[in-house]
Amino acid sequence: MTDRIVGLVLLAAAIWYGLTAGTYEASFGDPLGPAAFPVMLSVPVAVLSLFLLLRPDANPDWPRGAALLRQLAAICILVSYALLLERLGFLLITFVAVALLGRLLGSQWHKSAVSGAVVSLVLFLTFDRVLGLPLPALPEFMS
Amino acid sequence: METLNLLADGFAVALTPTNLMLALLGCFLGTLIGSLPGLGPVNGVAILIPVAFSLELDPTSALILLSCIYYGCMYGGRISSILLNIPGDEPAIMTTLDGYPMAKAGKASEALAISAVASFIGATFATIGLTLFAPMLASVAIHFGPSDYFALYVMAFATIGGITGANPFKTLIAAFLGLMIASVGLDPGTGVARFTFDSFHLYDGFDPIVAIVGLFAISEVLMYLEKMDQLPDKMVPLGRAIPKMKDILSGGWAYMRGSVIGFVSGVLPGAGASLGAFLSYIGEQRWSDKDGSFGKGNPKGVAAPEAGNNSASGGALIPMLTLGVPGSGTTAVMLALLISLNIQPGPLLFERQPDIVWGLIAALYIANVVLLLLNIPLISLFTRMLSMPQWILMPFVVMVSFMGIYSISHSTFDLLVMVGFGVLGYILRKIGVSLVPIILGLLLGADMENNLRRSLSISDGNFAILFQSPIALTLYAITAIMLCLSFYLAFRKRRGAESAP
Amino acid sequence: MTVISRTLGAAVVFASLGAFQAQAAECIAPADPGGGWDFTCRTVGKLLHDLDLVDEPVQVTNMPGGVGATAYANVMSKRADDDSLLVATSTVGVTQIAQDKYPAGTDVMRWIAMLGTDVGVLVVPADSEMEDLDDLVEALKEDPGSVPTAGSSGAGGWDHIRLLMLADAAGISAEDYKQIRWVQFDGGSPAVTQMLGGQVDLVSTDLGEIAGFVESGDIRILAALSDDPIPAFPDAPTAIEQGYEVTGYNWRGFYTGGEVSDEVYESWVERLSDLYESDEWKEAARSSGLVPVWRGGEEFEAYVNEQAEQMNQISREIGVIE
Repeated sequence: MTDRIVGLVLLAAAIWYGLTAGTYEASFGDPLGPAAFPVMLSVPVAVLSLFLLLRPDANPDWPRGAALLRQLAAICILVSYALLLERLGFLLITFVAVALLGRLLGSQWHKSAVSGAVVSLVLFLTFDRVLGLPLPALPEFMS
Repeated sequence: METLNLLADGFAVALTPTNLMLALLGCFLGTLIGSLPGLGPVNGVAILIPVAFSLELDPTSALILLSCIYYGCMYGGRISSILLNIPGDEPAIMTTLDGYPMAKAGKASEALAISAVASFIGATFATIGLTLFAPMLASVAIHFGPSDYFALYVMAFATIGGITGANPFKTLIAAFLGLMIASVGLDPGTGVARFTFDSFHLYDGFDPIVAIVGLFAISEVLMYLEKMDQLPDKMVPLGRAIPKMKDILSGGWAYMRGSVIGFVSGVLPGAGASLGAFLSYIGEQRWSDKDGSFGKGNPKGVAAPEAGNNSASGGALIPMLTLGVPGSGTTAVMLALLISLNIQPGPLLFERQPDIVWGLIAALYIANVVLLLLNIPLISLFTRMLSMPQWILMPFVVMVSFMGIYSISHSTFDLLVMVGFGVLGYILRKIGVSLVPIILGLLLGADMENNLRRSLSISDGNFAILFQSPIALTLYAITAIMLCLSFYLAFRKRRGAESAP
Repeated sequence: MTVISRTLGAAVVFASLGAFQAQAAECIAPADPGGGWDFTCRTVGKLLHDLDLVDEPVQVTNMPGGVGATAYANVMSKRADDDSLLVATSTVGVTQIAQDKYPAGTDVMRWIAMLGTDVGVLVVPADSEMEDLDDLVEALKEDPGSVPTAGSSGAGGWDHIRLLMLADAAGISAEDYKQIRWVQFDGGSPAVTQMLGGQVDLVSTDLGEIAGFVESGDIRILAALSDDPIPAFPDAPTAIEQGYEVTGYNWRGFYTGGEVSDEVYESWVERLSDLYESDEWKEAARSSGLVPVWRGGEEFEAYVNEQAEQMNQISREIGVIE
């Protein structure tokens, strides 16, 4: 079943990809142009996706319950990290994210808090101070 | 003989105490940077250039330091491939295929030792090639035109179906997915924006490092979160701390075969280390996979691609030094470095500044020995990393990868893309699609398309140009033979399976 | 813990190297490490500090994307009034602006100065039958598709446009010069080596990167697209000497946000002017194949606007943009 769904998504993607690529044109340039190669790719992808649709492998076990919740929580933490990094500053957000991820991965609160503090400090020193790659250290309103 | 004299002079330059110290430091830093996912050799060398300047080194010493970092990165990339199933840099992707299964079976130290020896043999082989034949090889390499490179890529993708034990159709799907992802961004030929949704963030396409970290590292976290209830706390049996000589020798001739294939693709500026590692793996698999154990932890599947990628990295210095043409991102940074040290790589470098060139070559020999000596004792240290609890290791690896990318691009968009790739990677792994071909497609796709289009620009649209050069025809012939061979082997295996019971 | 202690170890090593950095002037290189803009930022950033024109070492930030468009958008929307910011750019960036590939025109930034320029050249293999521009023009007039040409930019990029400007000056019609076969490579050296391998007959690109091949005698300069002969190769004929009024420079310079005060803007112009006057810059420029040329302040802004205008017109004429 999973293979069939993926096959269907892939087929739709290949058709969309090929059609979109077909619209690219340059008034100017090489004989093949920007459209030809992607259009050429979309054909075998569509054929291969049919294979998934028609001859699917056995279904994998998808996570349910607690496992699924943990995964969703991890994705939420990572996405929030990306969105809040520049607003909250590196030190704070890294501390929070590492602590939460550690907790999610099964440690106790106090241990993961220590790990969060150590990781955020070590990484900040390594990247910003040592390698000279500037990171936004502090929250936006403080800098 | 003259070469040997020049090399002796080079050693005299490189063996001063200061330069030796710098070589040691460079090797150590390089290994460290190479092993951190997200911070590959390109950025490693680039961000350490200012450090070299701030030390106010003379050009030869600066060059020695940075070349050692370069070689060190190449050694280091394999470490996280083997231990964490996360390639430390692009060329190390092939090492995940057999290296990680070995580590999971409690043979981490063996895999690390084999890969260290393979790196040493590959890099030394390339350095010898550089010493003896550099100018000659460069004059051969320039006869490789766009249509020949295209044939090389066709060969890579035609043979990709067999690289993993899993369903070959799914492997092909992964490779095509990679090629599709590679076409996102500004088209280099005409400047048309493709699949960018009018976002400037996508104008340069997807950075392979972002995709690698997302697909491998983040999907690994999701995998672990799914399975953590069912697993004992320690996932990996530690195994022996110090590998036996016998295990190292089990790489056998794979070391040499990988070195040769890697070196050839390193010398060709359009091929590079990732393709070198890939072709070495494919070649070794065709040559010696008798029982289908490739992809399940065969030592030769570690030895060949590691020898290949290090040999290619060394070989890539040949077009860089003699022609000024960088074959990879890292050699491009080295080229920029040479120019900023007032050294102009190109056809006159060997005549005009022999002391620098031979000092550099001697430094590479030294770097190799140092790296081997440094890496063997480090093995027990690295394997002990596996006994760290996952709740320390995983968040740390994710944050290092995040910062490795953010500190270079300053784009939080890249971080979101990484998470997206992580989810994609997780789904694909669940349904048994190998991730390695996606990265290969992403790494090679743009070059494949560009070389096809360059060929047709030269011929003004006439497709016959693709089959006119003898080099291209030879490559197509090899491709055909390899395909026939794999069909024949598959047929024989099936018949053997039917008649056995 | 091993990883952490190792990282700390590295931190100590680095710290002892004295590579500490504090908040200071920042130079954005709108490209990956290793490219031309990155080099401009790092060289100029280092010299600014060495010459005591800034107190702290200049931080170099890479912001690759869209041939500089990402950095342009970022500075425009977030850092328009940032006093401590320099952004590296060149003729290539202005070409992109002129072809509407950036989010805005030249007017949203303040253009500080250019410090040097690379010179466009047309080169052929040493054994080519073409002896001068007249031979090339003749061949192109007979059959525009007869000379496959390579360069480091795509069709419509600066290397290509320079060639077409020459064709235009030679009286070849737009219909015809559009037929010239153009092959894009990822840099001047790859283009030249492919020419030496017999794949193409002519290369149009910047001299700096390929000067070694001219010195070694592998290739010949058919025409230098400069007003005066190039200092390093005084014998190489310019296009103007051969009767074609075309120049094609690729300058290197800086802009900053559009809302910085006049005071700050003037101080940047002054500091870069001091830098330009130094021997250290002359040396750094020469070693990377640049000819030191100064344009600063209002003169430079006017120059950039005029160049963008001119480039826009050419791009329209040859059909790169509608």
